[in-house]
Amino acid sequence: MEQALQETWSQEDLREMAARWLRPSQVPARFRVHEDTTDFFRVEYDDVVVLDGSPYLVRHNAKEQRFGLDDEVKFWVKRAVDLRTGEPKILKLVFYEKFLSHVGGLEFECYRSPRKEARILDLVAGHPGFMQGHAVADAEGNLIRVLDFIKGRPLSRLITGLDLDHESYFHERLPGVLGRFKEAVEGILFLHENREKHGDIRRDHILVDREDGRYRWIDFDYNYRHRENIYGYDLFGLGNILAFLVGMGDVIVRDLAARDPDALDRLSEDDLNLVFQNRVVNLRKLYPYIPRALNRVLLYFSRGTHVFYEHTSQLVSDLGEVLEAHLPPPRGLDNKGGDHGESG
Amino acid sequence: MANQDKTFNRNILIAVDESENARRAVSYVGQMLGGLEDFRVLILHVVPEPDEDFFRTRDEKEQWLEERKQKVEELLSDHRRMLIESGFDEDRVTTRSTLRYCPSMAQCILEERDDTEYSTIVVGRQGLSRSEEFLFGSISSKIVNHARNCTVWVVE
Repeated sequence: MEQALQETWSQEDLREMAARWLRPSQVPARFRVHEDTTDFFRVEYDDVVVLDGSPYLVRHNAKEQRFGLDDEVKFWVKRAVDLRTGEPKILKLVFYEKFLSHVGGLEFECYRSPRKEARILDLVAGHPGFMQGHAVADAEGNLIRVLDFIKGRPLSRLITGLDLDHESYFHERLPGVLGRFKEAVEGILFLHENREKHGDIRRDHILVDREDGRYRWIDFDYNYRHRENIYGYDLFGLGNILAFLVGMGDVIVRDLAARDPDALDRLSEDDLNLVFQNRVVNLRKLYPYIPRALNRVLLYFSRGTHVFYEHTSQLVSDLGEVLEAHLPPPRGLDNKGGDHGESG
Repeated sequence: MANQDKTFNRNILIAVDESENARRAVSYVGQMLGGLEDFRVLILHVVPEPDEDFFRTRDEKEQWLEERKQKVEELLSDHRRMLIESGFDEDRVTTRSTLRYCPSMAQCILEERDDTEYSTIVVGRQGLSRSEEFLFGSISSKIVNHARNCTVWVVE
């Protein structure tokens, strides 16, 4: 983490720098300059945020898609341009919140912490499985995270955007997808081995890097107050993503009733997700070509299970065995994102 | 038969939190052992210290700790009174609270026990659903699985 320096830029300096990276019509006549970002609503399009002497031109607020709802604007997350280099950056300004999270009728205490994200950014510097960046204090000591922009799409959109039937997906794409996912789970194991939680593991918090197809975790500022199992909620998130990937999307009981009522007859309550009791995880009952070894991993997240994963290393090990012995070799790890995504 | 030589002392450690099941554990010990001679009870409460990220400022943390300290003192004093009313001598019921960062509460309780001469740990069973056990974990289950050199009573 770096300390903010008192460095000022004239309007002329800023205009000159902006002109290097923007079309003439996009260069503002005058910039509002912020060194204190405490009130992040005041930081708007075409403003400049100066952090540690570096000027960042704000372009717009970031948005986050949440499960089919309209994109949610995150006013504390700004897409920006580093005026010295022209590189696109994400600025995450300081936003604290504490709230009770409800998952499948269960309640637990969650909070957002800039310090946690800053610490993890230090920890994962150079790790290809995570968004990259650094933290810097603004003039008021707010810990701003300056993040590299990742070109790629969220994993959720990549999977739901595929125009394939499930069996073709299973044979043609799933081995590659699971290979990448195993790498991502190893990334979470790396956090856990360093006594850090991700805190908000969801399929839209993995971006698929358009350049190399790697899955990269984003958004580490959430945390939850654990009870006995410190990593239980992270593991739960990993199980949900796995079921989503194997099912080529969530397999929802209501949808199944409309699409394939016979399949519904084969299912029991034990076949459903342990927490989200409207999602099917015993997917082999629907797709019999799914190997037993892979289905067994899914069943650890089912209502019927008597044994849980206690540590992420167990999941990594089981996925490794499935990939090695029970799935065809991947046809190139080419599941790359196509469109622009963003971290933060 | 090595076990025949093993001796068990009459020191009972009750690990409590603010839950009703913890209160039941205290009540159980009171009903089973109150009035009997030679038993000693330590009522232990481990305050799980939140991650440093949980607090926005140092003041916020201090305030949280102060509030928690007051609640814990009341809780322990209440439990102690229950045991005395059940027949324990006042000088045989002690309390202890400690603030610790606990990746695993069960582990913290067992480490506290390791520092004492208590042969028996008593805890209340939380009665978690399977999904709660998966997401949050069960302290009593972990204590049962990991306890060494002591006996564990889990009170339903």
